[in-house]
Amino acid sequence: MYTLDEVIKNKMNGLYYGNRILLPFKAQLLKVIIESDIITDFSRSSKGIQLVEHEEFLDLYFHEYKGLSDSLSKFEAIKIVLVEEGKNIFDWNNHRKIALYLAEKHKVTIEETDADILFIE
Amino acid sequence: MFFVNRNIFAAETKLSVDSLVTGGGHASQLPHPVMVLPFLVLLLLIATGPIFYKHFWERNYHKISILLGLVTVSYYLGFLNDFKSVEHSVTEYISFIALLTSLFIASGSILIKVNFKAAPVSNVLFLLFGAVISNLIGTTGASMLLIRPFIKMNRERMKPYLIIFFIFIISNIGGALTPIGDPPLFLGFLRGVPFFWVIENVFPIWIIGILLTLLIFFLFDISNKKTAEAVTEKGKYLVELKGSKNLIYFAIIIISVFIDPKVMSWVPSLSPLPFGIREIIMFSVAIASFKTADLENLKANEFDFEPIKEVAYLFIGIFLTMIPALQLIAFESRVYSQYLTQATFYWSTGALSSVLDNAPTYLNFLSAAMGKFGLDINLAANVKHFVVVDEVYLRAISVGAVFFGAMTYIGNGPNFMVKSISEQAGIEMPSFFTYIIKYSLPILLPVFAIIWFLFFRG
Repeated sequence: MYTLDEVIKNKMNGLYYGNRILLPFKAQLLKVIIESDIITDFSRSSKGIQLVEHEEFLDLYFHEYKGLSDSLSKFEAIKIVLVEEGKNIFDWNNHRKIALYLAEKHKVTIEETDADILFIE
Repeated sequence: MFFVNRNIFAAETKLSVDSLVTGGGHASQLPHPVMVLPFLVLLLLIATGPIFYKHFWERNYHKISILLGLVTVSYYLGFLNDFKSVEHSVTEYISFIALLTSLFIASGSILIKVNFKAAPVSNVLFLLFGAVISNLIGTTGASMLLIRPFIKMNRERMKPYLIIFFIFIISNIGGALTPIGDPPLFLGFLRGVPFFWVIENVFPIWIIGILLTLLIFFLFDISNKKTAEAVTEKGKYLVELKGSKNLIYFAIIIISVFIDPKVMSWVPSLSPLPFGIREIIMFSVAIASFKTADLENLKANEFDFEPIKEVAYLFIGIFLTMIPALQLIAFESRVYSQYLTQATFYWSTGALSSVLDNAPTYLNFLSAAMGKFGLDINLAANVKHFVVVDEVYLRAISVGAVFFGAMTYIGNGPNFMVKSISEQAGIEMPSFFTYIIKYSLPILLPVFAIIWFLFFRG
């Protein structure tokens, strides 16, 4: 399993298929923004998003979307506030903001958001 | 506020009684009042869809909007044999969406970075600046250019009221000083209202409206204890503009606003096509600015066609379904014109501009006000006479149409876009009803009442 720092530093990609996104690291999600949907409920009963943790990666299913590529332009990001697995979730400094962009061949580009991206935690 | 004329129900076939001259200058038969239903249904769905059945609405709003629009179109073409009313509405819609689309796309690759501490005073100055600018590049252009820097400078202290006041001031009230500021004033300009009439006659009302709203904003903002220290980086630029070449596109769009046969006689009319040279220029600029856009800026602005797509689909439905509502209002206004005072025009234009598009509302009430004095809105000489002799009515209608667009998310095109951009940034915006109940009624209505008391009482 990779750390988020390794993923970003090595410009590693995630993957997407339909409404599913696979991220090559494990984390606790705090907030996900996709289009104008702001998702903070990650419980099992949540209809918006489902998280499945695997040994080596993290699965995200966006149930309200048939195909993510139909809804998102190439300039539009899925924005996530997260805390890497093993780090103290209550320490604000551990809260990381990342942006996911859908690319060709089912690849998902993972970037840490910079000051240009509008992203209110 | 409006009177129901029983003749509408009783004498549907008497053209002499139940007819009106529309803003397009043609006589048309009055529609049956039941035909207001598609419009009311559409408004209800726009209000409730995003709250109660969000994803169904997101997947189907375009079909619903077009379907309801087609109901009205079928009625006009099939039952009233009135092609002109539909054609006129489509023409106005194309002008409306051409301006919004071109400004939206041209602003999409302009990136404004601000690096100063957001605080009540700097926010007030920013909003005041935006209000002034909206008279030069339109409320749509100003909203699209300034909403992102406004969110960025307030990111550490973001609360929904910041966005709401942005909508109040920059997306609406600010643009009341020139015909470029807001579409209804532009339509008035096309009809013969002199370009500088607005600023000469509306400025005292504008400054009071802006200052009162800014004062209330300031009181909200000083109670926001969160600081914005994290935004400021010492030694860096204060304001940085990227994609400045798009300012040229902006200039072309603004100049093209005047390229109209009614303004410049040498401009050829493309009639019977429902658009003109102006719309062709605007759409061309939209394409050119997107094709030549800086990809980094588009990415930083998270450019997406969805907000403009949403406005385009919803407003085609609104423009079509509101034809009967506007015609009935115009008719009723004329029937009861002797009872209509400047106050009635101010509140009526305002109330309808809150939920209808304010451009045709403005035209219909202008037509009614001129009709009160036996003047015809379709004659530029009559309009010029009206603005000199009975200017108080035009002032009431102009202010009502522009200011009250801030009352709901659908009162003016940019409101929805600002809401959409804010939500994409992670800001949980109030619902349609919360916006009205929590913000526009308690904040704007008293401001508008003060304006009525000072300027339009009587």
